[in-house]
Amino acid sequence: MSGETVVRMPGTGPADDPGPTALEATGLSKSYRRNEALRDCSLSVPAGRVVALVGPNGAGKSTFLKLVVGLLEPTEGSVKVLGEPLRPEPESMARVAFLAQDKPLYPGFTVAETLRFGRIANPRWDQDLATGRLEELGIPLNRKVGRLSGGQRTQVALTLAIAKRADLLVLDEPLADLDPLARHDVLRGLMVGVADTGVTVLFSSHVVSDLEGVCDWLVVLNGGRVQLNGDVDRLLAGHRRLTGPAEGAGPLAERFPVIARSGTERQDTLLVQATEPLLPPEWTAHPVGLEELVLAYLRRPDAAVAVPPILSSAR
Amino acid sequence: MIWLTWRQHRGQILTTAGFLLAYGALLLVSSIGKSRVRECAASAVDACPWFTAGSTELYLLAEHSYGWISLLIPALIGAFWGAPLLAREFERGTDQLAWTQAVPPRRWLLTKLGVLGGLLMLGGLALSAMASAWYAAFTPARGGKWFSDLGVFHMVGVAPAFWWLFAFALGTASGALLRKMLPAMAVTVTGIVLAVYSLQSLSDHYAEPVRVMVEERMDHFQDVRWVGDAWVALSGAETESPPLDVCPDGPDVRPVGGVDGQAHCLLEKGYRFASYLHPPSRFWRFQWTEAGILLAGSALLFGFTVARTVRRTR
Repeated sequence: MSGETVVRMPGTGPADDPGPTALEATGLSKSYRRNEALRDCSLSVPAGRVVALVGPNGAGKSTFLKLVVGLLEPTEGSVKVLGEPLRPEPESMARVAFLAQDKPLYPGFTVAETLRFGRIANPRWDQDLATGRLEELGIPLNRKVGRLSGGQRTQVALTLAIAKRADLLVLDEPLADLDPLARHDVLRGLMVGVADTGVTVLFSSHVVSDLEGVCDWLVVLNGGRVQLNGDVDRLLAGHRRLTGPAEGAGPLAERFPVIARSGTERQDTLLVQATEPLLPPEWTAHPVGLEELVLAYLRRPDAAVAVPPILSSAR
Repeated sequence: MIWLTWRQHRGQILTTAGFLLAYGALLLVSSIGKSRVRECAASAVDACPWFTAGSTELYLLAEHSYGWISLLIPALIGAFWGAPLLAREFERGTDQLAWTQAVPPRRWLLTKLGVLGGLLMLGGLALSAMASAWYAAFTPARGGKWFSDLGVFHMVGVAPAFWWLFAFALGTASGALLRKMLPAMAVTVTGIVLAVYSLQSLSDHYAEPVRVMVEERMDHFQDVRWVGDAWVALSGAETESPPLDVCPDGPDVRPVGGVDGQAHCLLEKGYRFASYLHPPSRFWRFQWTEAGILLAGSALLFGFTVARTVRRTR
């Protein structure tokens, strides 16, 4: 695996225009005193996507999301949402909605008062959407937020974020602390809530199995750096799992960037960056799954060097 | 936004309004009781009505309340209006909710500071009006210690309004700095106590004290703030302590005609005794000087709070 190898992903050529950019980060860094949470992150995400931001705990996911929504100011670099930096003005702030990790709400407010807060604080507020959604979920409007179950609280917080009618919906670990059934409900609710609105969803997660079938764009953040960034289908198409006799692994590893390698004495398995590899007859190529791909990258924080530039940039 | 301010702080607003009503009721009832006691004492009837029995205690309670209310209420306002304003948001993480709606944090904060600070100043003025009316009712025209009794001085005029505002500003600033409610409340209460005592000792310097000679001081000695004494020699030179080389002092120096022996000796030798003091005519000057200091302090604290909140680094 050589750092100079550049693997062209299918469809990433200049002819394939991804459309308007929902989110663009340039050289984004954030330090807390001496601790560097995020280092020189650059990425851009096309509009209308459901973007999963994945990484181990402490990878800088929350910091990145807070920089995107303007809760933090970067030490260096900048963020643009739909081509413009976020400013502390109502029209600008109306373009981004945020659900923080602990789903903060005012526990003394009733659900109806929480919606009233959303209505007076947001010019694009969609009251019908909010009440309709909560009615469908069977959450009583006159109940105090502090007396709702964890799943219901998450749904109220999510409703507040969705009914803001922002262009970019940012969710920090929306599924954490929920049981599997509630996870499914929340995820489904989110997908229904944003369907046909053209809104870009950016959500972080450290549970990779939640992502399959939900997101169509993937960003992997590891150790404060962007390790992987791209369209999920294209990322999957650009990686192959190769299996074959152990003695043939060496020459193959010279030809393709290897992300993961495992195997026995007789048989080797390589996860490589390759599209349609021409292989020796005793070797076979298999498609990879999203979880397998993400885990392989997460186990190799240094693999960022091996990732060709085309992978860490949407253009 | 005004609805949000009311919804989030109605507990404090209603409690403070309730306190003002209860305190006003105490003043009213005690003053009615007191005047009945007077009537009763003036009349030749032996048996006074039953309700005058407790009214003296009530009157004393109201009178003594002036000393501690002027310290306690600002401390409570700082701790319960000021400190939680930001600290509770940080503690619950709701700052991330409030400041990611389409209301810029600066506007969110300025609305709250403006509405709550304005209400507190109105509350302080209401307290001052009640306390002034009660105190005026029970002091003769040239009596009373409006100026010299610091407990009374801080309950009347504009002092309560500015003290309440300052307490609120101190509370919000410590909440913005410490981000935890209990430490912010503790720091606020400590700060208020320190501020009250510092301004009490500083208040002697609000103006140049007036020198009053002992022979003329009887006329001027109503409701003054005493600063210091001095012995004035014939030459005009002043010493703070009695000059021992002129007249000795000790156990063998006996009082003469009820006057301290040493003092008598000094007066015999032509020394005169002077007092430095602030006359009661400086009441409003001192009220506004204190108000100015508190307003400047509040402005600095509010400025710190806004800067700290809007420039987000954590």
